[in-house]
Amino acid sequence: MLKVPKHQVAGHEAIGGNLGPLIDDSGRFYKPLQDGERGTKELAFYHSLSSDTRLPDRIRRFFPSFYGSQLLEASDGSGLRPHLVLQDLASNHLDPSILDVKMGSRTWYPEASDDYIQRCLDKDRTTTTVSLGFRISGLQIYGNKESGFWKPSRKDVRNFTVDNVRLVLRKFVSSNSPFDSNVTPDCCFAHSVYAGPAGILQQLLELKAWFEDQTIYHFSSSSLLILFDKESVWEGRTPFAEVKLIDFAHVEEGNGVIDHNFLGGLCSFIKFISEILTDLNESTTEARFAEPDKKCLCNAP
Amino acid sequence: MFKVPEHQVAGHQASDGKLGPLVDDLGRFYKPLQSDGRGSKELAFYETFSSDTRVPDHIRRFFPVFYGSQLLEASNGSGKCLHLVLQDIVSGRINPSIMDVKIGSRTWYPGASDQYIKKCFEKDGKTTTVSLGFRISGFQLYEGEESGFWKPGRNDVQSFTVDDVRSVLRRFVSSSSSIGNEKPDCSFAPSIYGGSAGILEQLLELKAWFEDQTIYHFHSCSLLILFDKESVRKGSTPAVEIKLIDFAHVLEGKGVIDHNFLGGLCSLIKFVSDSKESSITANVESEKPHDCTSNGNCITITSRTLVRPIDLTAKEAVFINGFPCKKPVR
Repeated sequence: MLKVPKHQVAGHEAIGGNLGPLIDDSGRFYKPLQDGERGTKELAFYHSLSSDTRLPDRIRRFFPSFYGSQLLEASDGSGLRPHLVLQDLASNHLDPSILDVKMGSRTWYPEASDDYIQRCLDKDRTTTTVSLGFRISGLQIYGNKESGFWKPSRKDVRNFTVDNVRLVLRKFVSSNSPFDSNVTPDCCFAHSVYAGPAGILQQLLELKAWFEDQTIYHFSSSSLLILFDKESVWEGRTPFAEVKLIDFAHVEEGNGVIDHNFLGGLCSFIKFISEILTDLNESTTEARFAEPDKKCLCNAP
Repeated sequence: MFKVPEHQVAGHQASDGKLGPLVDDLGRFYKPLQSDGRGSKELAFYETFSSDTRVPDHIRRFFPVFYGSQLLEASNGSGKCLHLVLQDIVSGRINPSIMDVKIGSRTWYPGASDQYIKKCFEKDGKTTTVSLGFRISGFQLYEGEESGFWKPGRNDVQSFTVDDVRSVLRRFVSSSSSIGNEKPDCSFAPSIYGGSAGILEQLLELKAWFEDQTIYHFHSCSLLILFDKESVRKGSTPAVEIKLIDFAHVLEGKGVIDHNFLGGLCSLIKFVSDSKESSITANVESEKPHDCTSNGNCITITSRTLVRPIDLTAKEAVFINGFPCKKPVR
């Protein structure tokens, strides 16, 4: 039984009779092949990736599992269409908070058409792509059972400034209501989610090390999907936070050159995450001197 | 006594009556303030930077020493003009090999004029800037007493492909005996690129700073890579150096790392590192027509892309717009 994904934060969505991905009950995600070259390029990439022996296993885990392609009824009623069959990344999370971060200070690539390049360039300059080396494409932050998810519109997300991005990365790991724009995020989950040997930062650093060396692929316009769910943190289930690389419609061959575009953006993102932890360490030290007996109440559900 | 620098590989040159930098006998480099605000921006940068306590000493050594500014007679005869007084980085080196590498996959920056952005964008696309994250702006390679300097013209350098860049980086550290061959031996790579004081180590130090510093964004800056074979042979220090130069377009970081520079720097590091590795394979496989790479990519140096080494020594030649010409006999 195929249905519209509950936890999709960016990309084409299969709601309102549009063409978009579907999921089933067994953890699979069916992504319709996009029109023109993009769909076939993404399919070709997944095929290439699954048989590429140059990819170390510890890097392979950052990619969604690929199960081939399948002809399915498209969600917009246009009939049978090939779909990529991928791992549904949200399926092993309950109420996951998700961030889709498009990496790179440019989303175009040299081999693209002039028209495409201009469109990308305009978007890159009006979002944080040029300034930060990455932009948030979409997000949802789980508040609680009553409030549900805070999921700003695509338009709002596209208008995020550098400061908005800083704030959102803190809200992502806070226990305050994400709907409240006036409160300072408490960053309660920052240590559990961002720090630690299985945390987001460690995973990003592992990816960074690979990008400093690999010259196989250039990932234009690909995203990092960051997922975590608060229940897993509270129940001490590991891993609670995951980093995945997604969206491969514009992957080109590296030809002996590293993906310096992706790498620059990744380093910038790593710096932003690290700073949250550094700021926390500094303020915790100050707080400890001020109120040595006060405990963090964040661990309570 | 001011004179035209003997070893300038990129930027405006004070030859042929143009406005350009000058050097003296005391190791100082006098750079005229460029027009339309760029000159004053560069002066402002040097003034800020030289007193910036946030810059650690081990990073400060990668920047030319700044001595202030001075009014001097401009090299184009236009009268007195304010000049930046900087350390002459090549002074004291005999027959230095120098490479000027402009770092970053884009040389423009938000906030610049549309016209400037368009100009930079086009150049970035035509050169290896977009593809590699850096481009060679100019270089001179000392190939020995007989051949002198190999110094291709600006136009040739600007049309370098990725393969040309790879090849130049290898040739830069190859022995004179492999000149004219299509397979540079990279025999000096371990001592110039490698080692605890080599180029790679210095680049990695700079990289670590760029992963963290959010003070400056260095647009359109260059890394000057320089060494001279005598110093390398003698083991004098510093035998090889890297210096960051050209600060007409430095902006505040505002809490964001210079990801544009960093990406290009990492790409350069990868290329230098691959050259260093290939020196081992090059020496081992001397029989086959090997290609001096560690990842199997073929390199061919075509005569179209590279200018043959000039047959004049540095003393005999005068470089006009990058092209070697024999000095007029008086």
